[in-house]
Amino acid sequence: MDSNKQVPVTVLTGFLGAGKTTLLNRILTEQHGKKYAVIVNEFGEQGIDNDLVVDADEEVFEMNNGCICCTVRGDLIRILSGLMKRADKLDAIIVETTGLADPAPVAQTFFVDQDVADRTKLDAIVTVADAVHLSSQLTDHHEAEEQIAFADVVLLNKIDLVDESGLEAVKERIRKINPFAKIINTTKCGVSLNEILNLDAFSLKRVLEVEPDFLESDHDHEHDDDVTSLSFVSDTPLDMEKFQDWFSKLLQTKGQDILRTKGILDFTGESDRYVFQGVHMLMDASPMGKWPEGKVRSSRLVFIGRNLENMNLKEGFENCKSA
Amino acid sequence: MKADLNKFPELNKTKFENRGKELRLGIPVINSVVIGNSIAVGFGDGTIRIFKAGQSSEPIKAHNGIVLCISKDGDDIITGGDDGRFLRISLNGEISEIANFGSRWVDHVTANNGSLVCTSGNNVYLWMAGRKEPRIFEHESTIGGVAFDSKGRRLAVSRYGGVTLWKKDYSNKWKSSNLLWKGSHNKVIFSPDDRYLVTSMQENQLHFWRLKDKTDSTMSGYGAKVKSFAFVHDTKFLVTSGSYDAVCWPFDGIGPEGRQPICLPFVGNKLVTFVEPFPNENAIFTGLSDGSVFLSEIEKSSNTIIIRSFTESEVTTISVTEDGSSILIGDMAGNILWTSIWDEENK
Repeated sequence: MDSNKQVPVTVLTGFLGAGKTTLLNRILTEQHGKKYAVIVNEFGEQGIDNDLVVDADEEVFEMNNGCICCTVRGDLIRILSGLMKRADKLDAIIVETTGLADPAPVAQTFFVDQDVADRTKLDAIVTVADAVHLSSQLTDHHEAEEQIAFADVVLLNKIDLVDESGLEAVKERIRKINPFAKIINTTKCGVSLNEILNLDAFSLKRVLEVEPDFLESDHDHEHDDDVTSLSFVSDTPLDMEKFQDWFSKLLQTKGQDILRTKGILDFTGESDRYVFQGVHMLMDASPMGKWPEGKVRSSRLVFIGRNLENMNLKEGFENCKSA
Repeated sequence: MKADLNKFPELNKTKFENRGKELRLGIPVINSVVIGNSIAVGFGDGTIRIFKAGQSSEPIKAHNGIVLCISKDGDDIITGGDDGRFLRISLNGEISEIANFGSRWVDHVTANNGSLVCTSGNNVYLWMAGRKEPRIFEHESTIGGVAFDSKGRRLAVSRYGGVTLWKKDYSNKWKSSNLLWKGSHNKVIFSPDDRYLVTSMQENQLHFWRLKDKTDSTMSGYGAKVKSFAFVHDTKFLVTSGSYDAVCWPFDGIGPEGRQPICLPFVGNKLVTFVEPFPNENAIFTGLSDGSVFLSEIEKSSNTIIIRSFTESEVTTISVTEDGSSILIGDMAGNILWTSIWDEENK
């Protein structure tokens, strides 16, 4: 499928009151010469009125095979399929989720439903966070953690209401959960739209471009429910068969706790770089051309999820190195 | 001297294309409905066009965005749109609004025997003959499809988790019962003899219930979602899209369980996107993902005639007039073929 023909879809998450509606109103009213459709949820904040606003109920559908990773958003399938029949082509679609929504079924919809995957592509997950309240929300609600964990961009809003040390503390908390997310400081969601739309964050090419903002983390935290990230680097080439064996078993057994993964892999005997990225158990992977001349070949692997320290990830990864 | 174009069939138009009328509108064709010997077509820009023999078809602006669904009520067209409107349109093009749901889409419309139905979100709105105010039937999830039985006494509503079957008793009260099957159900139809109810699912499969004893079963093995299916020749076969063949399940006698479907193949390995029975014949028109359309008998070694050559856009509708004389074909790119089926001398 020609990716130019796929309409990019941006998923906008964030807790109630963080500023999603402010951002949506800006997207709809700013003079950008683009045609954007916005899918809002019934229980969201009020005050958006536009021809291209579609009301939806968030409906999470399980497939009848009972597979968790095939849980999708039924309303999105219906509405995206409808929007793709419009005579005038849309430049982008923005999907707002409720503050308590799990972003995974939204993201999985783009992997699982063939019609949706043919005509649209998941562009990025943008999470609007309230700089004042995010820390307490992260402590109290696992949904807030998930929204940060899945984010490609975190719009850290209302920074005018926190002092510098408070801002640094909340940023550190975000980075600990998700070293990949780009954090943009804003007041009243004042951000250029090209920093949040058309990012192509789910393409494998982008995995190669984004350098994660790793923290020197000691991985200690208050309780086991915390979402954290773990990363591994190796200059020793990996054995493809061993890696596939380990990784597929890992996703099969622990996929529910692993929220997002990304990696660039150097396999013994292969001249190409292998790139992958995934949401829970669903994976997009492909060779992405030769290693750049003069650059050290190394494998990098990042996990974002829960209970990562109980998965023997380091040992598993070490065992994949070619003897 | 003429070049022998028959050696290069891809350069050659079919005789149906040569004698019919072709439109290249560039607007996605959503669906169409047959009213006698006229055919009404709904488009992705909110217009409809009415095709009648020997007349040109002008666009009629009905909805602001997309005509999401189109059906008929007697001799009138009924449509639902993403502008939240449920409309009645006469064959002369006069539009009247039946209901307006604002920013909520009208996803499905149908009618039978004076009863008029549309769905929006989780609700079915049912207007009984002569009533101004609709009855509202609420469901727990968004409605995937609606269908009346042949007499208009039962209304099937497909949804997440199965089908809600609404039945009108003799005091005109509607009562519901459930036919459950895990997963999300989309389009729903009754068999012409009202013995079976069939749904297509989010998974690449169909599900059916035999209404007499509520036994049910799955028809699977498809490569894609089954978006188009219909009963042929009363209830002899259920013909289905979603595969590289037109898959025809036998529904006569004991039904399809334990029996193999007849699969009608086509050259080129393209997905079947639309199937439409030939009225009163044991034959179907099959539209493919490359825009080509074929007529086949439902036989193990079937004769196949090409009706339209490829357009490189998936067939989204095929309608045949009630007298079986003319066919309309539409695709996602807005190409339309409106042609007579029979040669002049065979009429």
